[in-house]
Amino acid sequence: MATTKKVLQYKEPEKHYDVVIVGGGLHGLATAYYLAKYHGVKRIAVLERRYIGSGGSGRNTEMVRSNKRAHETLPFYKDSLAMWDDLSAELDWNLMVQKKGIIALAHSDGELASMRMQSDSQRRAGIKIDMLDNQQIKKMVPSLDVSDQTALPVLGAQFHPEGGTVHHDAAVWGFAKSAARCGVDICVGIEVVGFNVEGGKVTGVQTNIGDINANKVHVAVGGYSSEIARMLGVKFPVVTMPMQVMTTNIMAPFLNYYVASPRLHWYTQQTLKGDLILGGQLDPFSSWNSYTTWEECSERVATILEYFPDLAHARVVRSWSGLCDCTGDSAPVMGPSGIDGLSLDIAWGYYGFKATPACGKYSAEYIATNKVPENIKAFSLDRFFNRQRVREVIL
Amino acid sequence: MAFLIDCPNCGRRNPYEFRFGGECKEAPGPDADLNTWCEYLYFNENMSGFQQEWWYHNMGCGDWVKVRRNTVTHEITED
Repeated sequence: MATTKKVLQYKEPEKHYDVVIVGGGLHGLATAYYLAKYHGVKRIAVLERRYIGSGGSGRNTEMVRSNKRAHETLPFYKDSLAMWDDLSAELDWNLMVQKKGIIALAHSDGELASMRMQSDSQRRAGIKIDMLDNQQIKKMVPSLDVSDQTALPVLGAQFHPEGGTVHHDAAVWGFAKSAARCGVDICVGIEVVGFNVEGGKVTGVQTNIGDINANKVHVAVGGYSSEIARMLGVKFPVVTMPMQVMTTNIMAPFLNYYVASPRLHWYTQQTLKGDLILGGQLDPFSSWNSYTTWEECSERVATILEYFPDLAHARVVRSWSGLCDCTGDSAPVMGPSGIDGLSLDIAWGYYGFKATPACGKYSAEYIATNKVPENIKAFSLDRFFNRQRVREVIL
Repeated sequence: MAFLIDCPNCGRRNPYEFRFGGECKEAPGPDADLNTWCEYLYFNENMSGFQQEWWYHNMGCGDWVKVRRNTVTHEITED
């Protein structure tokens, strides 16, 4: 539907705010929206140094799912997945939520056993999950080679029917528009270069256009979190690595599900437009450069072709990468930072997109009430010192 | 790939032949407390710029190599 109303008006930052959010990606915008809408916080600014959604928010593979493993984190991911359903109506913006289902292939008995164990913990948390045998897989994805002729034959799969895709750029604009209409100032081109901390309490941020005072500061900068750590004179438990993603040319529809192979590090889906999105493994070394490489591209294509031989005619037309700040236990850091008034929403690695609504909701709750919500207690920074790391498996 | 790693035994090689060993950190002494060890294990400087790091040439000579690399531009310099 055509509209003549301007979607979003960027603002010049004022000198004082109740809450300043560093980072205009999905997590920052969602936090601003939930703060303004549900907690009645009036004066909020979102500071973004490039353009909104320029980092990981616009560079992920649009997958939303809740098939994680650690029982303490499952309610959080379940909540997040359920929240996507109503968001299009709530934000009055079509996020193209398409819960098509995710098939995760197993190539060994060990992997099948691990998936069964994972499925049990997920079922216990109320997440729908099924195990599939090869005949069922073949019926759902006829183009997939489940024979024993492949390099690592498929032995079964885990099916996550509620998983699917959400259009990431639509989500960025939906949250930005709704936050702005709730009175949030979204300021682009404003780079935070330092923090003002007095007596263990944060009093504001230093930016390229001068100081901005704030009662509370929230850090949601995605892969760039260690730059914030250096401004604060601390370290975060992360290593930044790029994740590379590719798309192919547009084809007739043939793939109704999101198909993934956790063992061989590939996953693919066909978008509504018809192109395939192919991903992706983290580059195995730390890097702050969003390049794409021949090595990664060729390995990804070779492993996917092994199981989708009919794709031999497809061409890779575009590739990009985004920065992921990964912790050792595949779980993020949320909540208190150790500095009064400064809250964190960092270390989201390559699994931050699906968690956006819950991150916004719980970060906003923490900022507004100063009490850590039950669902994000497991993500505290203290867990690395208390030997309470999240028992997550990489998926 | 945009950079090559200078292995003292094998010459300039593709970084995908190596296993990344993380940034160089100073290990705490034997009498350090648990928190210091936790910080040493899990927390990283994670520089966006030059950092000293370990690389293991697992598809080559099997030696650990110390490299000073810019993580943004992948420029490699001598110490």
